[in-house]
Amino acid sequence: MSSENKKWFSLNLGRKKTEIFGSCGCGKTSGGCGGASSTDQISNEDFDREVLAAIGEERKKDGFDQVFNVKMDRRTAFKKLTASLAIGAGAISTSCSVISGDDTKEKAQIDWEEQFKGNYKLMTPEEKGATVERLVRSYQLRTGKTISMSSKNAEEDVLFGYAFNISKCQGYMDCVSACVEENNQDRDSQMQYIRIHEMKDGKGFNFNEADDNYYHEVPAEGHFYMGTQCFHCDNPPCVEVCPVQATWREDDGLVVVDYDWCVGCRYCMAACPYDGRRFNWSKPEVPETEVNKNQHYLGNRMRKKGVMEKCTFCVQRSRAGKNPACVEACPTGARIFGNLLDPDSTIRWVLENKKVFRLKEDLGTEPKFWYFMD
Amino acid sequence: MSNRPVMSRLIYLFVLLLIVFSCKHDEGEYHSVIDRIEAESENYHGTSISSEKYIEGIETIEITEGGHTFLIPERKGQIKLYACTECHTKPLSKMQSKDVKKAHWDIKLAHANKNTMNCITCHNPDNMNSLKSLTGSDIDFNRSYNVCNQCHTKQFEDWKGGAHGKRIGGWAPPRASMTCVNCHNPHKPHFESRWPARFNTQKVKERE
Ligand code: SF4
Ligand code: SF4
Repeated sequence: MSSENKKWFSLNLGRKKTEIFGSCGCGKTSGGCGGASSTDQISNEDFDREVLAAIGEERKKDGFDQVFNVKMDRRTAFKKLTASLAIGAGAISTSCSVISGDDTKEKAQIDWEEQFKGNYKLMTPEEKGATVERLVRSYQLRTGKTISMSSKNAEEDVLFGYAFNISKCQGYMDCVSACVEENNQDRDSQMQYIRIHEMKDGKGFNFNEADDNYYHEVPAEGHFYMGTQCFHCDNPPCVEVCPVQATWREDDGLVVVDYDWCVGCRYCMAACPYDGRRFNWSKPEVPETEVNKNQHYLGNRMRKKGVMEKCTFCVQRSRAGKNPACVEACPTGARIFGNLLDPDSTIRWVLENKKVFRLKEDLGTEPKFWYFMD
Repeated sequence: MSNRPVMSRLIYLFVLLLIVFSCKHDEGEYHSVIDRIEAESENYHGTSISSEKYIEGIETIEITEGGHTFLIPERKGQIKLYACTECHTKPLSKMQSKDVKKAHWDIKLAHANKNTMNCITCHNPDNMNSLKSLTGSDIDFNRSYNVCNQCHTKQFEDWKGGAHGKRIGGWAPPRASMTCVNCHNPHKPHFESRWPARFNTQKVKERE
């Protein structure tokens, strides 16, 4: 498609270089995707002057380059600036006002910087740290409570995998409870990343006839139980369809979502063959006392209305060496988690010694979630 | 006429390109995630992530079974009235008199049937401080899994490898695993049926 009749505005994400990138559907964390090109540009000096006049010092802030270091024609440039300024107008007016307090000014400043930050995937570690710091501060200003938020990256030589023992699961749902609490999921809509399916003996894995909302003592006679959640596919179709690359596979195999970059189109939800994704149809509500304050940017930090979320194998826990909350909560030991690259890990022993299988293996999605039986 | 060599050269080129590119996969160049795991774990050097700090408060002992070395919780310190000989000062027969306060009255054995097991299948009446094997040799309370694995051999295999049981701390090394009696009451080892930890009340409403 020629750049002139492009209907959307492309950003030169995270790159100072202005050369044009070919389109690439890569799911990699590192490296940039996307391109920008346009003719009829205003000269660099002109652009700089306009920007300086409009927002001055803000220009130096991180994430700014991702949005503004893009050559565009005068009209688009001004359109962009006005749109953004409208959003930031409140911010500016409060931050320049002599009457409003320091806190309000700081809040406005944070809002402004958050508005113009880039895609998390393309941020440098410093930028990641900065946005996390802003989010922590903003939460503090709003609620007076202090949370801890991590931006820890994937570790070398780690690839997370999961195994589920169908013979052990009794349908107690302790995992679901732990997951909801750990990941600050919306209590109103009763969002749950994990589903436990109650299946009839002798019917096989018949998801159509499974009862996902059973309401009786468990395990029920003549039934068995199995859990599903996001399988963190190694070849994730959900990542491929995202039009803004708000979801991707990290180097340790976790498929994550940048809640601040997601536009809520729900393509990924449609593309997932495993019902692994959940959408925030309303503003997620978590009682203040129940908020889990140990958070990760890509994990259980507070979401907003209209964004996608899903299981992250508790990135805030797993990257710190802990087991995901579901694994820790399961009283029967049906859930096993670990590093697939460590030949001595228990997950590797399971893969090598038990008869494991995955769901819909023929799709080639390569889930990193295996089922087995005793 | 001169077209011929050009054509055949083109075909050669095509075949060559086909050979070169047909084996190429996108993204990481692996056929499957299993291939990827095999290739990437070949020169695995370990990571800086450790679960040590999560097991700090727990007293553990290191065991090596069938090529697996890992930690399990120390047991004797967890038994409220250990050492048993503090009460069991006399042989059992002498303690079953009316004037001695009743003990262990709450234990109802629900483990195999009466033909197969009774108290002294695992407990040694002559040495209360220790468990015993089927053939009568002592087994330390800290290694009580050796009592269980006499019958439950399959579970023992899975437990050593990590397919049965639960980890303590986290996924990262060092590995610490629960031992049999941390999850199973040895006198009543099955899991009880109970109500699930949560209900989807929204769905319940829809059903009513
Ligand atoms: S299970 Fe679904 S959401 Fe999770 S990685 Fe696979 S395709 Fe994506
Ligand atoms: S809902 Fe969000 S993460 Fe999913 S495809 Fe759309 S923008 Fe991407």
